[in-house]
Amino acid sequence: MQYIAPLAKLIEQFRALPGIGPKSAARLAYHILEMDKARAEALAAAIVEAKNKIGYCQVCFNLTDSNPCKICCADERDSTTVCVVEEPRDVAAMERMREYRGLYHVLHGSLSPLEGIGPQDLRIKELLSRIQAGQIQEVIMATNPNVEGEATAMYLARLLKPIGIKVTRIAHGLPIGGDLEYADEVTLSKALENRREI
Amino acid sequence: MRVNALKLHNFRNYVNLKLVFTQNINIFLGCNAQGKTNILEAIYFSAMGRSHRTSIDNELVSWQQASCLINIGFSRIGVENELSLQLKPLNTRCIKEIVYNGHPIKPRDLMGSLNVVLFSPEDLMLIKGMPAARRHFLDLEISQASPAYYQQLLKYNRVLAQRNNLLKKIRERRENSSLLEAWDEQLAQLAAVIIIKRLAAVKKLTMLANLMHRKITDSKENLVVQYAVHNLDDAEILKDCGELQQAILHKLLSSRDNDILRGSTGFGPHRDDLVFTVNGINLRNFGSQGQQRTGVLALKLAELEFIKSETGDYPVLLLDDVMSELDEQRRTQLLYFIKDRIQTFITATDEKYFPEIKQGKYYYVNNGHVAE
Repeated sequence: MQYIAPLAKLIEQFRALPGIGPKSAARLAYHILEMDKARAEALAAAIVEAKNKIGYCQVCFNLTDSNPCKICCADERDSTTVCVVEEPRDVAAMERMREYRGLYHVLHGSLSPLEGIGPQDLRIKELLSRIQAGQIQEVIMATNPNVEGEATAMYLARLLKPIGIKVTRIAHGLPIGGDLEYADEVTLSKALENRREI
Repeated sequence: MRVNALKLHNFRNYVNLKLVFTQNINIFLGCNAQGKTNILEAIYFSAMGRSHRTSIDNELVSWQQASCLINIGFSRIGVENELSLQLKPLNTRCIKEIVYNGHPIKPRDLMGSLNVVLFSPEDLMLIKGMPAARRHFLDLEISQASPAYYQQLLKYNRVLAQRNNLLKKIRERRENSSLLEAWDEQLAQLAAVIIIKRLAAVKKLTMLANLMHRKITDSKENLVVQYAVHNLDDAEILKDCGELQQAILHKLLSSRDNDILRGSTGFGPHRDDLVFTVNGINLRNFGSQGQQRTGVLALKLAELEFIKSETGDYPVLLLDDVMSELDEQRRTQLLYFIKDRIQTFITATDEKYFPEIKQGKYYYVNNGHVAE
C-alpha cells in the first residue's frame, strides 16, 4: 500500500530515528494524526525549541540551554575535580547518583581507528586548555569499560600525568545489590583483580 | 553429556526431521550427498553457534526458505536441557535467535552449554596445515572449558584490529605514533592472559595426548605438543602474568617501527603456534601420513579427556567420515575408547567399518530422510 504523501514523509522522518523500524514509524505517524491539532503543534514546537535553545556548554561540552551550563556555574561544586565521560547521557547517569560534586567534561565519543575517530575528533584539546587554566587537580576517567573506552582513558592518562595531574579510573566489578553467582566470568575476574584490603 | 533428541526444520536438505537418540553410538549410513554430515553439522552448530563447514550462516537455511530451526535436547551431568536456534537470513546477514531452556541468550553466551568434539578428515590439516588452524583448535578447546577465555579472545581481536588500523594510518602519516601507547597497554594485558591460559591448556593437553598416543602405538612412539610463542624466548614465558605483560609491552615497543612499516602487529598470541614432535622429530615437516593421522587421533582423544577434566563431563563426539581414513587397528582403538563412555555420532558410507558394535544404532540416510 502507498501512503499519501504527507504521511509517507512523516513516517520516513520517524524511521530515520534510532531504534525505530518501519512498523513503529507508521504507528507513531498515525498516532500523531489522531492527536488534537494543539497537541501536535506543541510537539512540533517542543522539538524546534529544544533544537534552538539547547547547545553545547563551551566549558564542559555537555548539553545546556545556558552558557556556561548550570553545573559549570554552580558555586557549591568542587572545581578541582573533573569527570571525563564519552556522551552527554553519561553526565545524566552520573548526576542521577547525586553523590558526585565535581565538574564534567564530555568527549563526544571514544578513540576508534576502525571508525576513523582520532584525538582531534574528540574534545581533548578543550580539556587540556581547561587544565592549563590551573584549578583542576584530579581527572576521573569514566569512559565506558570497553576496548575503545579503555584506550581513550589510557591515552588521556598518558597526556595528563606528565603535567602533574592526578588521573584516576572508575572501578570495574560487581554491581551493588547483585548476587555473586549471577555475575559473568569476565566481570568476576575483573572484580577479583581490583580487590582491596578491608 | 548426551544428546537425547534433535529436531530440524528447513535445515540444509531437511524439511522436517525428528530424531530421538537412545544409544551411545549412533551411526548414520548412506551414499554421498544424502545429508549425513548435515545432522552432525546441526549438533555442532548448536554447541558452537557456527558451522564447521562454512562461515556463512545463510547457507544452512534450505533453499528459498525464510528461516530454519534447530531444536536440541541434551543432558549435562544427568540434567535435561533444551536449546533452540533459529536462523533468519536478512540480505547478506543472518539473524540468530537462541533460546536456552526457555530464556533467550546472546550467541556469545552459547559457548560452553553443550560441549562437542568434532573429528573430520580436515583435521589432518591440524598437523599439516597453517598455524591458524592450530590456534583455532586450541582456542575452541579452551573456550569450551572456560567461557571467560572466549570473551578475552574476542576483546583481544578487537584491540588488535584497532591497533592494526592505527598502524596503517601512522604509515600514511595521518596519525601520530604516540597514539599507539593507549592500545599497546591493553593488547599486552590481554595477550599475557591468553598466552598463560594457552600454556596451561597445552601442558595438560600434551600429557593426555602423549598417553593416548602411547596406547595407539603400543608405546613405540612418544608424542609431545608444545606451545611456541612467536618471537619470544622460553625464559621470558615462564614468569608470572604481570612480568609477561611487561615483556610483551617491551616487545611491542621495540618492534614498533617494523609494525608501522608492515601495517600490522607482528607479535602476540595471534602469531603463535603449536609444535608436534614424535620421538623428537617434527611431525609437520617430517612425519609420514600415517604418523600424522595417529597424531591427530591422539590429539582428538586427548581433547575429550581435557574437556572432561575441565567440566566434569565427557563432551559429545562427532566423527564425520573418519572411519574410512583410519586403518583397522586405529579404528578398533577409537571404538574401544568411546565404548560405554562417550556418546558418539558417526557418519559413514558402509557398515563394514563397525564389525563389533552391538549397542550402536544405525540410521539410514537417503536424500533428506532418515530411517532407523
